[in-house]
Amino acid sequence: MLNNFAENLSPGNVSNLVEIVKVTKIYPPDVVALRNVSLRARKGELIFLTGPSGAGKTTLLKLLCRQEMATKGLIEIEGKDLSALGDNDIQKLRQRIGVAYQDFKLLPRLSVSQNVAMAMEVRFMNPLDIKERVAELLAKLGLSEKHHKPAGKLSRGEQQRVAIARAAAGSPLLLLADEPTGNLDSATTALVMNLFKELNESGSTIIIATHDESIYQGTSHKKFELRQGELYQV
Amino acid sequence: MKFLVFMFMQTGRNIRHSWGVQLMTLLTVTLSVLIFSFFFLIYTNMVQAGLKLGEGLRLTVYLTAQLNPAEQEEFKKKITDFGRVEKIIFITPAEAFARLGRQLGNDKDVLDDLNPAFLPYSAEIYPHKDIKTLTRIKEFSDFLKNLPGTMKVQYGQGWVERFGHFVRLLRFIVIISGTLLILTTMFMVSYTLRLTLYARQQELKVLRYLGATNSYIKGPVLIEGFTLGLFGSGLGLGALFFLYQWVKNHFGATGFMNIFEFSFLPVSNTAMILFSSIMLCTLGSILSIRRLLKI
Repeated sequence: MLNNFAENLSPGNVSNLVEIVKVTKIYPPDVVALRNVSLRARKGELIFLTGPSGAGKTTLLKLLCRQEMATKGLIEIEGKDLSALGDNDIQKLRQRIGVAYQDFKLLPRLSVSQNVAMAMEVRFMNPLDIKERVAELLAKLGLSEKHHKPAGKLSRGEQQRVAIARAAAGSPLLLLADEPTGNLDSATTALVMNLFKELNESGSTIIIATHDESIYQGTSHKKFELRQGELYQV
Repeated sequence: MKFLVFMFMQTGRNIRHSWGVQLMTLLTVTLSVLIFSFFFLIYTNMVQAGLKLGEGLRLTVYLTAQLNPAEQEEFKKKITDFGRVEKIIFITPAEAFARLGRQLGNDKDVLDDLNPAFLPYSAEIYPHKDIKTLTRIKEFSDFLKNLPGTMKVQYGQGWVERFGHFVRLLRFIVIISGTLLILTTMFMVSYTLRLTLYARQQELKVLRYLGATNSYIKGPVLIEGFTLGLFGSGLGLGALFFLYQWVKNHFGATGFMNIFEFSFLPVSNTAMILFSSIMLCTLGSILSIRRLLKI
């Protein structure tokens, strides 16, 4: 059963990692991508965001990592209003958010390990720790053999896993995954979901936008559905 | 420390990915520095030669009549009122005649039947080094010409003027090549790095999405600019030194090299060229990234 989730939420509660209050996003000239959307994600929560193509899932994720700005409403992460953040604060926030993009956003000429390492390099993590973490993630996602291969030479399914590994690399506070299993078979989907589960258990809040019912059916995690820019809790 | 390690790693990665363009820029910087420092080297040597020649510069004032001691003092006073002089020597016709004889050497017998009195009384004036520029010497000469009792003033003006014009032309070339160096270095470095940054725009975008700060992106570009300046000017100066050594080895024993004691640029000038190139290239790299950080 679908319920309208545009209930009144009070911002500023720090136990909530993400607070989205009555957010509307209109792309010029007048394309309404999100309408009056409110959502709350507590620390360590895993949330599924479903809905048909063009419903606004990607837009919502883009708003959360400040790739886009909301036209109306409030978005807070850890009690900080994203619209009020300066350039440097946005970058610091992005360092703590892992995003697995639907279009991967990999650098094709760099190797798989270099792509994954980038997420940690921008945080100036210890090079040895980076190396270790890259190897660990690639092993978990079945990509150990592809370590040195340029990302541009991988299949779409492999590229998707590299993008997920990069998103997970810095053990982010918030992980946003946009259709993370769209190009994967059931075996590799299981690998990806195991990784998400591990991260979630270690405290990361995860929001997964997906079409793939198999990954959220039967789970006890919160599920929301976006339909024509409006959000409903399932 | 970690910051620096990442900066150098990223710089190395950038240079590897755009080595062709970077090499062209490096060669342009090298060539610009070589052209500028070549003219600067000639200019500094000419200035040195001019100073050296100037040390022996004297103006000879031919007098209409002999000056008695009181008149000599009056003459000296008028001259020192105009400007400082190293010394003033009064020469009698007999002394001038004897000097002429010495200068003629084995041919001095041509003077045998001549009376020394045909030579005029004269005064040799050795100006102080603050009257060594061409303009000041001409002013000084004009002043001496107008002194009462002066018949004629001689100081090899034709040669001094030609030399002065030559040094002025060199100075002009140095200024032009220096300006060209500044423009080419800054614009070439700026545009090359901007070109490589445009080619890397997707990468920069991804880096920004991953949370790369401005310093993380700017740092390697600044290091690239610094490196281009350092190696470009180093190679340019190295090539000039090689050229200087070659000329010295092949022409050192003959011609003008002996007259002018041709020497390489002093350490201070070399350091100044190196430092300026590094600064210009770094400035060029700053200009290239300003617009690309707003993702």
